[in-house]
Amino acid sequence: MLKRDDVVKLVRVVAETREIEIGCDECFEQLDSFAEAELSGVEASAAMPLVRDHLDKCADCHSKFEALRTAVRST
Amino acid sequence: MRERTNEQWLADLRGPNPDEALADLYDLLVRGLRAAFGGYGGGLEANFGDFAQEALIKITGSLDSFRGESRFTTWAQKIAMNVALTELKRRRWHDVSLQELFARREAADRGPADTQLTAEQLALQNTVLGELRRMIDEELTDRQREAVVAVILEEMPISEVARSMGTNQNALYKLLHDARKKLKRQMEAAGLSAKEVLAVFDEG
Repeated sequence: MLKRDDVVKLVRVVAETREIEIGCDECFEQLDSFAEAELSGVEASAAMPLVRDHLDKCADCHSKFEALRTAVRST
Repeated sequence: MRERTNEQWLADLRGPNPDEALADLYDLLVRGLRAAFGGYGGGLEANFGDFAQEALIKITGSLDSFRGESRFTTWAQKIAMNVALTELKRRRWHDVSLQELFARREAADRGPADTQLTAEQLALQNTVLGELRRMIDEELTDRQREAVVAVILEEMPISEVARSMGTNQNALYKLLHDARKKLKRQMEAAGLSAKEVLAVFDEG
């Protein structure tokens, strides 16, 4: 089932895996605070590293963050 | 729109006359949706009102869960973005069946080796590929294997894969996290460093 072309994708993802990661629910709970911190110029990634890590790994949550950031910035 | 503090939003929405606050919030949500998804095309604009309405129902039904760690309006917009993205992904992926996806993968060519490789490079690639396949086959559960293929290799949205697998996004993320941790430990045990593997596959 694993194809030659899949190897790089899989190994990159596995290499980035941490013992402790938060799930999508926990990330979503903090997404509004994270977006505001980022928009106000605070180093949100340093203050909320587990949220940053989750957003880097989860495309679904990342798209929510991008949409929220755009919406908040424009309203 | 009248400026409100978080406390005023909560008081107005919980009060006896929430209509003005509801109307203000609705307008704000629609503006946010327009900003975030205005460029999507496909007649999506027509749905912003519905998304905002659905979000309002969720927001007013969960005011107690607002912890005041952000502005109320940011929290409310987060819920509206979630409503819109959930629907967008559902539309995009609702015809995709996981079983068909897996069958297509099985039927597809396994990807020919790069003809520029030396015999030694090819042998190394085959060894690594064999090891990784063994780990996936022997160490992961059926559900972990399905999730790895659909989310990591085929890059389907995790929420849609979760729906197809009869679970939720959060549970599927955790299942995938466990699978990734297992594979990481297995790679370490087999002496396969990510850097070396990527170098063997010419992506280092």
